[in-house]
Amino acid sequence: MADTPVLAQIAPPARRITPTMPVALAILFGWLMVALTAPLIAPYDPDAIDIVNMLSPPGAAHWFGTDQVGRDVFSRVLYASRVDLLLCFAGVLPPLLIGTTIGLLSGYFGGVVDNVFMRIYDLTVAFPFFVLVLAIVGVLGPGLLNFILALALVGWVSYARLVRAQVLTIRESEYIQAAKCLGYPPRAILSHHVLPNAVGPVIAYAVSDAVLVMLAGASFGFLGLGAQPPLAEWGVMIADGQAFVQQAWWICLFPGLAAISLGLGFALLGDGLGQIQRRGVTA
Amino acid sequence: MNGLETGKPPLLEVKDLSVSFGDFEAVKTVSFTLQPGEILGIVGESGSGKSVTCRAVMRLLTGAARAQGKVALDGQDLLALGEEELCAIRGRDIGMIFQNPASHLDPLRRIGQQVAAPMIRHLGLGRREGLRRAVKLLEDVGIREPEKRARSYPHEFSGGMKQRAMIAAAIGCQPKLLIADEPTTALDVTVQARILQLLKELNRKTGLAMILISHDLGVVADICSHVVVMRNGEVVEQGPIDDVINRPRHAYTKLLIDSQPGRKTYGTADRPDRGAPLLEVENLSVSFSSGKGLFGGLAGNSNSFRALDGVDLTINAGETVGIVGESGSGKSTLARSIIRLNTPSGGAIRLDGQDVGALGGEALTAFRRRVQMVFQNPYDSLNPRLTIAEAVAEPIWRHGLADRKAAQKEADALLEMVELPRSLRDRKPRQLSGGQCQRVGLARALALKPQLLIADEITSALDVTTQAQILELLVKLQRERSLTLLYISHDLSVVSSFCQRVYVFKAGRIVEEGVARQVLSTPQDPYTQALVGSLARLPSLQTTPSAEPVSIHAT
Repeated sequence: MADTPVLAQIAPPARRITPTMPVALAILFGWLMVALTAPLIAPYDPDAIDIVNMLSPPGAAHWFGTDQVGRDVFSRVLYASRVDLLLCFAGVLPPLLIGTTIGLLSGYFGGVVDNVFMRIYDLTVAFPFFVLVLAIVGVLGPGLLNFILALALVGWVSYARLVRAQVLTIRESEYIQAAKCLGYPPRAILSHHVLPNAVGPVIAYAVSDAVLVMLAGASFGFLGLGAQPPLAEWGVMIADGQAFVQQAWWICLFPGLAAISLGLGFALLGDGLGQIQRRGVTA
Repeated sequence: MNGLETGKPPLLEVKDLSVSFGDFEAVKTVSFTLQPGEILGIVGESGSGKSVTCRAVMRLLTGAARAQGKVALDGQDLLALGEEELCAIRGRDIGMIFQNPASHLDPLRRIGQQVAAPMIRHLGLGRREGLRRAVKLLEDVGIREPEKRARSYPHEFSGGMKQRAMIAAAIGCQPKLLIADEPTTALDVTVQARILQLLKELNRKTGLAMILISHDLGVVADICSHVVVMRNGEVVEQGPIDDVINRPRHAYTKLLIDSQPGRKTYGTADRPDRGAPLLEVENLSVSFSSGKGLFGGLAGNSNSFRALDGVDLTINAGETVGIVGESGSGKSTLARSIIRLNTPSGGAIRLDGQDVGALGGEALTAFRRRVQMVFQNPYDSLNPRLTIAEAVAEPIWRHGLADRKAAQKEADALLEMVELPRSLRDRKPRQLSGGQCQRVGLARALALKPQLLIADEITSALDVTTQAQILELLVKLQRERSLTLLYISHDLSVVSSFCQRVYVFKAGRIVEEGVARQVLSTPQDPYTQALVGSLARLPSLQTTPSAEPVSIHAT
């Protein structure tokens, strides 16, 4: 008790933006612009086959070289960013919304509903994430849409548990007691008082989850279960190129670098958001 | 014993000690001396630098802190010592006990081992000999069946017993100096009195010198011979305890003395009007099922804990009723039952003859407007994401009493009423002090213009001076708005200075009730007597105590 004001005063002045944030935002904004303007900046049609120039190394005509059927790797990397970015949002948003809603309700009201959802949660985490997604995609059949569906079916539990844990502590706080005592309707308490205080860590987690989803998307593309050829997707491109990696390293390298940079952008953003969120309440 | 004047060299000399964290100076040129066998009190509000001062003496400051000046223990400058030499001194020459005993005991080790550990380390005792001495120490600090208790784990100890164990561990190596940082703040009053008694006895028997840090002048006055009053990192006044209390020179010391609960009566106690009963509580029982196992729901609630057990009480309109009791006595459960935050297992609560438990829908909303509550924790009771003006306006527009714009205006008026400056209206709770937050809580509770206001320990997290201001505000509001007030506190002196009638709670039952002054002056129930006896009160102005303060304990 005696220490708190002193500590509050000695804490260094809160910097709202950590050094990682500008870097993260620059990377993500860059990829977003690339995805939006891909048709304008891509020098070739990503699917145009040019047998004459197949497996030509990076040069003035083809900056990133061409693949085994002569498609321009640079154009394909640019176009693939559209698929992969979309995948990130489609893979993160549904589980985020479903999981947050379920976590909010089951944490706040408790009881039977909570018990049921927590058992489902236990069941889901008993399997490794990839294995479960793999199994669901296996049953539904390969394809981007099924992959996104599988992610939503498996991914919501992490969000639900995160939100539920937050809600359990917030529920007991005196400002929620006060809100009940002031006669606010439960819907208002949930949306106005519980949710805004519970959602911080969820957002930070969602951003790091985007990395996972993107890598999963690339891996599933690589396994032939996600995006289907000839659609340009970084994972698919790497998978296609691996047979030629001895002669033509560029087919795999550039999509790989693209995936890494986007992943890094999301990871840094998640890190920065987490820091801000931790500090935000005290500042 | 009390001598800056005596020729003996001081045990501890602190001279021009300054501690700064970056640009912030937490402690500014503090000087004091401590003679062997003396108990020195350091008093001040939170943030006054009293804990930082003592941490500097122990060299327990974090890396960011910079300490300057001189701290000499028996002539040895502690600030100049290396880490290794310090380790030899900490625990052997200087012992320290902390505010929260629970967080300073290792939950996985037995009490006896933890008490023995410093002796084994510093005195080079064997394990068996250390344990033998630990048992002896536990006996010395008043723990019954010490052999058996030495084998207990911390969670099997109560708060008071943990603090005793901490004291045992701290005095094991027979240190020259014991630093006690708010050793009784986290404890109930009766336990607090016993711990202070123990410290006093230790001092008398072994001549152990002590520094007692406290925000409570009453506690310090009780056992210290000298006192240092600190504020904003500076010493504002120091001297023998009776000089400081009876002839305070500094305005702040005077304020501190006047703010002591029980020093001042607030005038509510004399109001003659007795209205009709507003709230009646009849034979109320609340039980919580404890130890709910996997099959708790199936096995039925065989294992339940009764938080309230057949409580009857009446509150008349316009009255101020106090409820006193230690933690766990069911006071808060009562408050939460009245505002329907938990469901009673038996009995009835009636507001104007209407059963509160049966209310629903529109009638419940109407009830919410009539009965409001202010909560204990100033920070936790406000949503951290809302500005204080938003928080105060919300009940007004949610209840449809005004549209959002008009509600904002009304909120501004309410904030003015609780004497908060206009400039604060757009701040978030974290940017306010505890006292300011509590004013916001008060304004929010009053936004619906309730008839009955329940105040649950609203000042227990605040400094004494802030506490006095909040109480004054409460009295003013009560007068202006003809509020009926149910004031819940563990502090008998606050309640008696403030309420017309009191109920004394113990273990879920009312053990005594009556007019506040009578209960305080002539307590009937043995528990109330213990409670009254354990009040660490300032000696009154007329009777100047001797250097050895008379025991006012009823342990």
